[in-house]
Amino acid sequence: MDKELEHSFVELLEKHQNIVHKVCRLYTNNHDAHNDLFQEITIQLWKAYPKFRGDAKFSTWMYRVGLNTAITLYRKSKRSIKTQEFESVSFKIKSEDYDDTEEQQLKLLYKAVHQLNDIEKALVFLYLEDKNYSEISETLGITEVNARVKMNRVKKKLKTILNP
Amino acid sequence: MDELELLKKDWQNKDATYPKLSYNEIYKMILQKSSSIVKWIFIISILEFVFWLFMAIGLKASGYNNDYGGLYTSPGFIILSILSYGILAYFFYKFYMNYKRINTTDNSKTLMENILKTRRTVKQYVGFNLAVLVIGVAYMMPYAINHDEKTRALVETAKANGEIFKYYLGVAIVTLISLVVAVAILLLFYWLIYGLLLRSLNKNYKELKKLEV
Repeated sequence: MDKELEHSFVELLEKHQNIVHKVCRLYTNNHDAHNDLFQEITIQLWKAYPKFRGDAKFSTWMYRVGLNTAITLYRKSKRSIKTQEFESVSFKIKSEDYDDTEEQQLKLLYKAVHQLNDIEKALVFLYLEDKNYSEISETLGITEVNARVKMNRVKKKLKTILNP
Repeated sequence: MDELELLKKDWQNKDATYPKLSYNEIYKMILQKSSSIVKWIFIISILEFVFWLFMAIGLKASGYNNDYGGLYTSPGFIILSILSYGILAYFFYKFYMNYKRINTTDNSKTLMENILKTRRTVKQYVGFNLAVLVIGVAYMMPYAINHDEKTRALVETAKANGEIFKYYLGVAIVTLISLVVAVAILLLFYWLIYGLLLRSLNKNYKELKKLEV
């Protein structure tokens, strides 16, 4: 692949890398697994890049490839090794930014989200990224009605995890 | 406030907390090799194709060494060979087309279906080979018994001792047990490889399909 293509791809990914970090954050538990998945998503994005049409937004396209890599292509053996809770290390919320109760609640929420299955995580991820149900259904290949039904179930499931 | 709304508010405020990889760090990553399950399925499948091809060639070569040459010029065997090579070519073509269809930019369900389709083709290929193995052995055994000098001598001895039925029964049982053991080992091997490799994919696919009910 030519240098120009490489350059344009790396530049775009550098700009939008947070999307990949967010996917990794949701699907991994530690730094090594995060880096591992980030690399795999980058490779998959790069492999698919020649077919990327400018008419779709690069970020929208990234959501699809990123999620597909996390829930379909990625081998999970490495990420299941729980060396340390990633949540508490990398993304610790500064206590002065939030009051204690909210911080505590958020901590529990993130923990609860980590307990969801891969598909539920994908739904939550797209929801958190402010995607509408039509985009969610297109990304996952399910109907819009099913996306809504499943999202409601996920909300209920989260409630149950938080208030057993 | 809805739990997810609270989470969303926090999630969207956290952009600055993510690691920031440099241009060079990302560039280095695109030069790395993928370790996705598709790549592994592809490698394993190619190995399977090669393995069965060598098995077929090996079996024929050993047949020639054992003076079964005549068997390979029999019309039945020639028809079987042409048929099996034709089917082999068909499997190669189908496997390649399936593999080409795997596209990470498809929606998740289609992507999973296409991966599973590739897997299914390889499964059918393995099934086909196991069937050929069983048919081949069934076809070759009478020939081997009738044409191999050592076997013929054994048959003669058995006949002389009035134990010909016992002899054939023994041969049939040993052949059957060997086949069952070989097939069981191969199936266990496939189950281990694909079972482990595709466990989570299968789980996720079922989860997506569950929504359709």
